[in-house]
Amino acid sequence: MRKTPLDHLLDWSGRILLAVILGFVLLPFCVVAIASFNDSAILNFPPKSWSLRWYANVFEYRDFAEGLVNSLKIAAFGAVIALIAGAGFAYVLNRYEFSLKGVLNGILMSPLVIPNFTIGLGLLILSAAASLPRSMWLVVTVHVIIVMPFVVRSVYVSLQNFERRYEQAAESLGAGPGHVLVTITLPLLTPGLISGGLFAAILSFNEFTASLFVVNQRTQTLPVAMYNYVREYADPTLAAVSVIYVLVVAAMLLIVHKFFRLEKVLNVD
Amino acid sequence: MSTEPAARDHPAVQIDGVSKSFSGAVALEPVWLKIRRGEFLTLLGPSGCGKTTLLNLIAGFLEADRGELFINRDLVTQVPPHQREIGIVFQNYALFPHMNVAQNVAYGLRTRKVPKAEAEQRVREALALVKLEDFADRRPRQLSGGQQQRVALARALVIRPRVLLLDEPFSALDRNLRTAMQVELKEIQSRLGLTTVFVTHDQGEALSMSDRIAVMSRGRIRQIGSPTEIYDQPQNEFVSTFVGDANLFDARLVGVDGARASLTVGGTPVMLDTYQDALPAPGPVTLFVRPEHCTLAQAGAPGAIPASVALSVYQGSYAELHLDCPSAGGADRRVMLRVPSRQALPPGTAVAIALPASGPAIYAKQTTKATA
Amino acid sequence: MSKRPFLGWFAAPSVLIAFGIAASFLAIVQYSLRAHVPGSLEPGGFTLDNFTTLWKLVYGQAFVNTVMLCVWTALFTLLIGYPLAYAMIRAKSASLRSAILLISLTPLFLGEIVRTYSWMIVLGNRGFVNATLMQLGLIDRPISFMFTKMGVVIALVHFTLPIVVVMLAAALSHIDRNLERAATSLGAGRIRVFLTVTLPLSIPGIVAATSTAFAWTFSAFATPQMIGGGQVQTISTLVYQVGFASFNFPLAASLSLLGLLFTIAVLALFNTGIRKLERIGAH
Repeated sequence: MRKTPLDHLLDWSGRILLAVILGFVLLPFCVVAIASFNDSAILNFPPKSWSLRWYANVFEYRDFAEGLVNSLKIAAFGAVIALIAGAGFAYVLNRYEFSLKGVLNGILMSPLVIPNFTIGLGLLILSAAASLPRSMWLVVTVHVIIVMPFVVRSVYVSLQNFERRYEQAAESLGAGPGHVLVTITLPLLTPGLISGGLFAAILSFNEFTASLFVVNQRTQTLPVAMYNYVREYADPTLAAVSVIYVLVVAAMLLIVHKFFRLEKVLNVD
Repeated sequence: MSTEPAARDHPAVQIDGVSKSFSGAVALEPVWLKIRRGEFLTLLGPSGCGKTTLLNLIAGFLEADRGELFINRDLVTQVPPHQREIGIVFQNYALFPHMNVAQNVAYGLRTRKVPKAEAEQRVREALALVKLEDFADRRPRQLSGGQQQRVALARALVIRPRVLLLDEPFSALDRNLRTAMQVELKEIQSRLGLTTVFVTHDQGEALSMSDRIAVMSRGRIRQIGSPTEIYDQPQNEFVSTFVGDANLFDARLVGVDGARASLTVGGTPVMLDTYQDALPAPGPVTLFVRPEHCTLAQAGAPGAIPASVALSVYQGSYAELHLDCPSAGGADRRVMLRVPSRQALPPGTAVAIALPASGPAIYAKQTTKATA
Repeated sequence: MSKRPFLGWFAAPSVLIAFGIAASFLAIVQYSLRAHVPGSLEPGGFTLDNFTTLWKLVYGQAFVNTVMLCVWTALFTLLIGYPLAYAMIRAKSASLRSAILLISLTPLFLGEIVRTYSWMIVLGNRGFVNATLMQLGLIDRPISFMFTKMGVVIALVHFTLPIVVVMLAAALSHIDRNLERAATSLGAGRIRVFLTVTLPLSIPGIVAATSTAFAWTFSAFATPQMIGGGQVQTISTLVYQVGFASFNFPLAASLSLLGLLFTIAVLALFNTGIRKLERIGAH
């Protein structure tokens, strides 16, 4: 097919537009990465001199280290609980009809619509009303509620694509329901479960708004610690934290991608 | 597989009035069926006829709404699939992708807690039976379609099932392989004397492999019998058209005398011997004749039905003659018959069709054509 | 035989969590109907005062602000998200497709704080954009992005872009390419094919993406809080302020409740829109 001048114009303007949009997407992180190596405490572009001292500062500021440990703990517990509860619910949702199924599903999916600040406020009020301490478990509960819809969705999709014949073949060979679950269903769903769990962990690691409502000084997560830092100091330490933060998340993402192609998780393949 | 002599007297599978609906839609009308020990029984019918539903009921993947099901005299209606001791081969084989061939075959032995040494021995034997001894360590996706099917068969046979169920097992194979696998399966089945229920929509497969065929449509068994009975003596219009080709003639039933029926076809009087259990009342009827039972006659021959050649299709050793015939049933008023290719005739030739003295089926004329 | 193995065991944890969600929702409803006792965290008796207070100008203004931010953000996100999704779906090489997808998703995985902080550095008076423009001599004085709606919208567009791109890409990938080929064979040029075939067929995806962008923007907190710096008050920032600056949890609860009802109303509206569109598409 011969290309007309108009086709060439469209091709080139499309490419330029694409480059500009991708630049817009990547710009903030590139700028923050440059800023993190800026020697001066006041931001300048381009930086006049370079230094790693803000990275050193990150490790001296205790809140970040504690926040990171809290965040990792909360993300790990939150993801595991959300995975167990979410996978169980997705299985039940996929396999059985029972009364109140719709109601249960509606409640569990509602965090997709309810703003995070409302969820945070709700659990804060609830724990205050029940005189529960603002412990780490309160934060974990909030995170489980927020990430569970994503886990349910991803496991449910895996179950829908699951070939029921495998289970029937196993049954015909004498395997009871529990044996089928352990030897056939779970092994075949493992990639989906692992990626769903890691996805939940990343979402939990990133959660900020609802956490802000329910944490205290002792349980604050890394994003909350970072937020509090920005409110008090204006130096580029936070730029350095951001770079480290992004590297941690990128590592988690790469693991997900290894197990399960992202295109598949997001249904755009 | 019990070997007590008395066991030979009762059916391997007995289905007593089993029926099934899905959310109000009837998938299977009440069915009564006895499958004999060692028999190869085929459930044949178009998609949606209820054959797969019946198979799933026998396997226990579905629960019957009504009726009882026995395997070797044991009532199994309420027994879950994993306690029924049936072997099943699925259309896509459903080999466990996370296990190798040997593990797949050993699966049913592990669930039965068969001792390790014995299990290994039986897996080896089963793989030898399907000629796959050298493939024990392969993963299912590393095998060809035919090899996958053999693994599925070995996996089903190794547990020594009371009944073997085959759910369209050949439909994923290409034509040549399909024929080879049919022969192989049939050999293994008769050597082991295995009671087998085979589900297919392919009449060729059904006719070549079965001891008996149950032709199904719309949730009912329309006829059950040996392949010859089904092909040569169909009892109703559905079986006549679904199994094999049929030429239809508009006719009028004048009278019946014992097994002899007198009719007129487009004004031509015809006498026929009939095998049917029941004949329709005198009046307009449709005559079903297999193409190979129709012969060409001279135009104007007595008892022959006039027609003219519309088209001749060369098929190698024979030719198909498509004839325009005013007495033919069906919308296009065509009749097809096969002649040796050197006897093919040019279009426009006036001919006549001679009907066989016995064989044609006579059914009451229906306003709408019977479908699945 | 047990007809429904595992049903109880598998559903139990999720039932527990559902109870937690329902209880916290009821807690909000209950607090929204209680009086605020200044200086105490314990609420007072039942009253409707919170909702009458919400009619006050400052709260109304927060609602208007929030809705305007939602509208602008959705609009601009669509404008830059659509070409991105289109380029991704139509990219000839798989690696280019993966690259576009991965880059589009980065904002999602940066986390609210990193993303917002980065935009503060980009948009600040001494930030990247102003420094660059001044060095190029294009402006004499810095443009104010910080503490303005424009700055907040820019950062929010960046925030909602990933989900919009993913939803548009899903919609575009389900359009049968043969429809476009058919239009081309009938003599339509590329622009006409896009305007008469591709764009109309992707409208359900556009509506769905818009509603999600709307919901995300509505619940955004860190971005308006940090970039708006108190000058751009939204429902989320107000809830936080009322709750943690004046410890008036009953008022915060009633504000949240109204916000939630508003979100549900807007999403319901979008949903009916999508259903109508699907019905048209079906015929």
